[in-house]
Amino acid sequence: MIAPIDIQDLTVSFPGRTGIVQALQNLTLTVAPGTVYGFLGPNGAGKTTTLQVLLGFQEATSGTARLFGCPITHSIAREKIGYMSENPDTYPFLTGRELLTMAGRLFNLPSSVIQKRSTQLLEETGLSEAANQRIALYSRGMRQRICMAQALINDPELLILDEPTGGLDPLGRRDIRALIARRKAAGKTVFFSSHELSEVELACDRIAILSKGRLIAEGPVSTLVPPGESLERFFIKAVTP
Amino acid sequence: MNQILTLAGVVWLEMIRRKDLYVLLILMTTLLAGLLSFDIFGLAGVAGYVKDMGLLSVWLLAWILAINTSVRQLPQEEQRGTLFPLLAKPVSRLTLILGKWLGAWSITGFALACLYLTLCLGVSLKGGRFDVMTLLQAVVLHAAALGLVCALGITLSTRMNRDAATVTTYVVTAAAFILLPRIPSMLVGVGGMMNTALYTLYYLFPHFELFDLRRRLVHDWGCAPWSTVTGILVYAVLLTMALLSLAWLGYRKRRFSRGDIL
Repeated sequence: MIAPIDIQDLTVSFPGRTGIVQALQNLTLTVAPGTVYGFLGPNGAGKTTTLQVLLGFQEATSGTARLFGCPITHSIAREKIGYMSENPDTYPFLTGRELLTMAGRLFNLPSSVIQKRSTQLLEETGLSEAANQRIALYSRGMRQRICMAQALINDPELLILDEPTGGLDPLGRRDIRALIARRKAAGKTVFFSSHELSEVELACDRIAILSKGRLIAEGPVSTLVPPGESLERFFIKAVTP
Repeated sequence: MNQILTLAGVVWLEMIRRKDLYVLLILMTTLLAGLLSFDIFGLAGVAGYVKDMGLLSVWLLAWILAINTSVRQLPQEEQRGTLFPLLAKPVSRLTLILGKWLGAWSITGFALACLYLTLCLGVSLKGGRFDVMTLLQAVVLHAAALGLVCALGITLSTRMNRDAATVTTYVVTAAAFILLPRIPSMLVGVGGMMNTALYTLYYLFPHFELFDLRRRLVHDWGCAPWSTVTGILVYAVLLTMALLSLAWLGYRKRRFSRGDIL
């Protein structure tokens, strides 16, 4: 089976204020289908840079990254993915349903599929009643949920979540956990970066820990973390020089 | 094409819900009402005066709308953070640019049609009328000029921040409209470097004066030759394509980061 994410020798550097910044150094990572994969690291480790390269927001200096075997430089590589960021950034002048329709059209889905999936996702996220309300009137939690629905409009094989629980209340966190569990049950792959180690420990099959742009640990949580030790403790030991 | 139309549709929805168009139409109606209430030159000259000033207002309002709409599209996506979920979809950056340009141009074109319609009503209230074919040519050429303005606005917004791009687009389009037609007369008696510089400016900047049929409309000179109109439209299409290509070149490898880059 083709790996949803295949990163080989990825290096990203760019000019910073005090010279060249090495954001990522020779990162090699493969995410198998159906895995819930946690991408961890302290601030400045290179997590966001990796996601940005995978999503086409910026180019790698060297190395390759592929999504489902397709080079990430091709926009078609993003056909099977869904992405949700920490911030519920969306168009305030659209209604929830219009946002989902727009997202579906950008994936070139047929109208009937968009209609069906939108209704289903609005129900799943508890936004059916607010579907025809402008997003400007939504609360932060509702905006987070409509962004989640938008990320799922194409029923993605790979869901990429950037700090999905950051800034969420306990109910919001529960929703995200439930979402990840549902995707896993459906055999889909979830790749997420997070600082919330307890969430990661609960949800992930495998983790990768990044520090200063380098991969310092990778594997199943049960193998990496010694018995009787928490992921948090292991993480702190791993990233502390 | 579906993606381009979807992105253009979002521009339409935003413009309609921001109520910019209504403000524009209210402004035009107020200006026309003011013009209609004047009777400066006696009855005979009034319709021509309304035509002249009304057409000037249409050009000014459409110009302002085209620049403000086009220039904000890409920087606003980035500022609002909506660019990221957009680029995470199978949408190429060229598609994004084309969708934004089409949206900005088509909504400006729609506003233009409404403005001309309002003007026609105003002129008819004073007993005047426009020659239909000349009016059609004027509207088509005006819309083509606005496509060019939108392309310029979008191109500059890929290289500058929104405010800088807005000011530069205003300055470049105004300078091109006002100064370029005067360059041939300025070339008389000028030699050397100055001559080369003026020639370069003359051929580098878009010639908006070619799209302006206001005098034909005001003085009822009749239609322009269709071959000339076609030639100007081809010029507009080529220049718009060139500008959008430049926009793409400036945008295709641009690094977008949200928050902390690391």
